[in-house]
Amino acid sequence: MTIVPTATRPRRRARQSRISPWLYLLPAIVTLVIWIYWPLVDAARLSFFEWNMLPSSEPTFVGWRNYANIFSLPKFWLALRNTAIYVLGLLPLAVVLPLAIAIFTHDLPARSRNIYRAIIFVPMIIAPVVAAAVWRWLLDPGHGMINAGIRVLGLDPVRFLQDPKVAIWTVIVITGWKLIGFSTLILSAANANINPSLIEAARMDGASKWEIIRDVRLPLLSASVLFLVVMTILLGAQWSFSYINVLTGGGPLGATTNIYYLLWDFGFSSMSVGWSSASAVILFIGFGAIAFVLFRLIDRYSFHDN
Amino acid sequence: MTIEAARPLGLARPRLRRKAIDNIGLNSAAGHLLLVLLSIFCLFPVYWMVVTSLRPANATFETSLWPTAVSLENYAYALNAIPIMRMLVNTLVISAVVTVIQLFTGLLAAYAFARWRFRFDKLVYSLVALTWLVPLQVVMIPNYLLVANLGLLDSVAALILPHFTSALAILLLAQTVRSFPREVLEAARMDGAGSWRILWEVIAPNLRGTLASLAILIFISTWNEYFWPLLLSRTPENSVIQIGIQMFMTTEGTQWGPLMAASTMASLPVLIFYVVLQRQVIQSFMKSGIR
Repeated sequence: MTIVPTATRPRRRARQSRISPWLYLLPAIVTLVIWIYWPLVDAARLSFFEWNMLPSSEPTFVGWRNYANIFSLPKFWLALRNTAIYVLGLLPLAVVLPLAIAIFTHDLPARSRNIYRAIIFVPMIIAPVVAAAVWRWLLDPGHGMINAGIRVLGLDPVRFLQDPKVAIWTVIVITGWKLIGFSTLILSAANANINPSLIEAARMDGASKWEIIRDVRLPLLSASVLFLVVMTILLGAQWSFSYINVLTGGGPLGATTNIYYLLWDFGFSSMSVGWSSASAVILFIGFGAIAFVLFRLIDRYSFHDN
Repeated sequence: MTIEAARPLGLARPRLRRKAIDNIGLNSAAGHLLLVLLSIFCLFPVYWMVVTSLRPANATFETSLWPTAVSLENYAYALNAIPIMRMLVNTLVISAVVTVIQLFTGLLAAYAFARWRFRFDKLVYSLVALTWLVPLQVVMIPNYLLVANLGLLDSVAALILPHFTSALAILLLAQTVRSFPREVLEAARMDGAGSWRILWEVIAPNLRGTLASLAILIFISTWNEYFWPLLLSRTPENSVIQIGIQMFMTTEGTQWGPLMAASTMASLPVLIFYVVLQRQVIQSFMKSGIR
């Protein structure tokens, strides 16, 4: 009598445990399949068609023509180049400067540090559209505060968003404005976590201030730095999308268009589903390859403290 | 990997005495200077937004650092020009609903990953994590077509549906549930509690801290969301405040005063939230990376 329940219960539990995890996962999996994985497949399919998204027209199969067209399009190469400029331009603002600030300010008293922390974090919670609006106002060639300052210095006003040579750097600085506080806090936290006895030991050995930074602090911060570098490389150009769309619309003359904005432009300005999807596939594959390499690098080089 | 980089804040180890004495003086003055400059860079645009919004309409172009006369004209104008209140309510409803749903689906999925070993569990977990790497612009056209086919273009529902789950919530919660003491779960199981009851009566109440911090993050990100509304909304009545702000920037010219008033109204809820819960807000952002 007593043997029966003990024999069936584990079996029942085993069967249950085969189904239950899937039941718990169901809402998440269904959402991700509908909104991400199936659309990925669908984008790949649409990249072989020509279509303007109007219900009245039928997609026509064009094979690899969309890809061939995109690769021969100067606009595409310009967007790729601009994407690289965005990423490289963001690195100093999102990594180098915050690293310097974090190291340089590590021994301020806790109270004033908390005040600074609260202030420099503000841009992070401001909506990108608001940030774009405010910067557009500050940078306005006619009435903006910054150009007023430039005029006081006796210089000509700068057309920050209208000058093709300057516009991309303006968008980069605005994107960096959102990030600089966040990066500084990440790096300060990591810096504060370094065991002071390591620093003390180095000092006992007669290491100079600069040697301590170079040989003790920087290696111990390398994991956090690497994290921020990877985030910037993978997401940097993507973060600027809102600013491009609100501030420049990709212009002047395509000077601020990066690959993400190009996809938007193909899809919803030119209404060319095929072109947008083909560049989406190219972007996704390129992006995946870069991510793969970066994650391998992280595995190999990340360095753990204590 | 977003999670690995998280470091607890404010946990500076007690400093050694000698060092503290060493660093008083020139060095820390320079440090203050650096941080004051950074603080001005970070805060001035926000300050300027509020100041401009409070100037009388005919004083928009003044450059005095504080408003010489305070007026709510710009706010009145903005409220009349577009249905801002309606948009704020939409944004609030969407953000609140998305927060609750993402916590719910995230907790369910996290529980599945943390509690059971099942076939393909590693694969499914990586597929969840990998969604983080899919740029929205890559999947936007199929998503747009799906919403159009469902007849949901220009509806509030369309702004909620794609956000039913987030990889971030799942991964973060899975990590927390995994570290939950086995003995407690075992004891609950011995008492005959089923998996559903264990989740809601044992695990969820103990996860309040993580859930709250995740809720802050999801709420603020959804409030600030721009891409989906841009893709899916059409009329102001069914849209969110971020789209409303944009309506004051037209190719014919920008109405700076009302634009700053609308921007202030859009930021106020989040800013108030931040002032009240400053420490928690910073921690929840730092814990979960940027996205």
